[in-house]
Amino acid sequence: MFDIIAMNMSSLTLTKEQVNKIARLTKLPLSDEQAVTLSYLLSDTLRTIDTLKELDTTNVEETYQVNGLTNVYQKDEENRQTLPKEKALQNAGEVVKGLFATKAVFDR
Amino acid sequence: MKKLNELTLKEAITGLKTRTFTSTDLVSACFDQIELHNESINAYLTLTKESALKQASEADRMISEKGEKAFDEKPLLGVPYACKDNFNVEGVEMTAASNILKGYISPYESTVTSKIKKAGAILLGKTNMDAFAHGSSGETSDFGPTKNPWNLDKVPGGSSSGSAAAVASDMCVFAIGSETAGSIRGPAAWTGIVGLKPTYGRVSRYGVVAMASSTDSPGPLTKTVEDAAIVLEIIAGKDALDATSSPLDIEQYSAYAKVNDLKGLRIGKPASYFSLDLEPGVRDHAEKSLDVLKSLGAEIIEMDLLDPKYSIAVYTILQRSEVSSNLARFDGIRYGHDRDAFGTEARKRMMLGAYALSAGYYDAYYSKAQKVRTLIVDDFNEAFKEVDLIFGPTMPCVALDLGESERSSMFGEMMDVLAEPSSIAGLPGISINSGFSNKMPVGVQLIGPQFSEGQIIKAASALFNKFSLGERKSVL
Repeated sequence: MFDIIAMNMSSLTLTKEQVNKIARLTKLPLSDEQAVTLSYLLSDTLRTIDTLKELDTTNVEETYQVNGLTNVYQKDEENRQTLPKEKALQNAGEVVKGLFATKAVFDR
Repeated sequence: MKKLNELTLKEAITGLKTRTFTSTDLVSACFDQIELHNESINAYLTLTKESALKQASEADRMISEKGEKAFDEKPLLGVPYACKDNFNVEGVEMTAASNILKGYISPYESTVTSKIKKAGAILLGKTNMDAFAHGSSGETSDFGPTKNPWNLDKVPGGSSSGSAAAVASDMCVFAIGSETAGSIRGPAAWTGIVGLKPTYGRVSRYGVVAMASSTDSPGPLTKTVEDAAIVLEIIAGKDALDATSSPLDIEQYSAYAKVNDLKGLRIGKPASYFSLDLEPGVRDHAEKSLDVLKSLGAEIIEMDLLDPKYSIAVYTILQRSEVSSNLARFDGIRYGHDRDAFGTEARKRMMLGAYALSAGYYDAYYSKAQKVRTLIVDDFNEAFKEVDLIFGPTMPCVALDLGESERSSMFGEMMDVLAEPSSIAGLPGISINSGFSNKMPVGVQLIGPQFSEGQIIKAASALFNKFSLGERKSVL
């Protein structure tokens, strides 16, 4: 996948255990080997983004939206577009009685 | 004489209007070229030949009935185009070049393709890309990399790899792509065509697979600057279905492409962009382009901007965070396959994003990045008090060999270093070809303040007309 030998083994900021935890949270099952590789790759990325510490951001506000729009509202009748049921269901993994079928989420 | 598939958009419209050829001729010429070269270039993932030919004969009927008047309502009537495979086109498969969406048939239409359809253009097919637009080489596609038409051992750049390659190899008249940070300008530069990334919010994101929602910008990839302007006029504008689309009026952008005098225009040359480790051929062409801009009447002003390395870090954090949130919706229940169908790149990005957004790290990463974003926005605002536009190379080097992107986990960010600052600030940018280095195309870009599409089109078009001297070379 990637040349992990070239990376600095001693400065692993994300351990394999942490990677496994993130994998569980993001619902991305990983093999042991993938978790090790990802701990190197993600640690490498974290080192690169560390440069931000060089900049002083005291009293600086965050920018979440760049083109100046705030609180965009519209009347209900301006946007009535929605998908008809059969179209909403056309890509479903499994359909039961005209509904999306999922695995049970309780009692697990 | 040019073959029909080699025509620019402007030439195609003129030819159809004057009935020099039919839409069926034009569409067939594109499919002939696709037949010859798509297997080796891998630009298209899906072809919509049957419906395209049907629409072409319908367009021909309208033109023969109404004549030129047919174009008043439908300015792109009968013109074939290609669309990146992250736009929903109703009834057509959309994969975003990822296995997780293989077999997904779009149940609705994106605003961009809907506007283009209404303007009369005809979809030839959906183009290859980096999976979920995560990448800058085109190689993260689950359906094989797109090859650069100028040299099949090289990448075309990404993530709009197939759209760029299709335009460069004349497998369409124009194409649609999307850019989060470099995904239109980068492949345009590496394939020698024009790529326009509009201001964030100028073009609706509705129906485009969400990547980084705070920077995603759909835009055109074309053979000339004027063509890009013509397409932008069609796709720009407020959309009730995208709350972040701007209510500002759209302009007649193509009129700006007709100006060849840049007198009074102040163009900034940022020291931090030119002090990067640029390939000598790229630096040469950028310097020569500045001379040409000067000869066209522009004033070149030495200035500086924040070191783009900070933009790499900001972009990495914001993009990963937004990706982790946007791709969380893929549950394999309503559409798509199970999450284990995600490729390595998407996994990496989602996981880093989830980490950056998690309690305890949020302030250090996400919040910090959003604050530095403010510094970047302010930096540009200050700069635009002194200059009208900013000029730079588009990419630090020419197209790399296939496989080279896998040597760094930050490949994309490093290649997009010159596009990231403007993307983070939501600014429009346009890349055009300025010549060749080691037989590969070199792109240069012009960046302007938000909603200054007209100005960047004006400067880029004047420069483009000087370079191309009216004739575009065919690759194949």
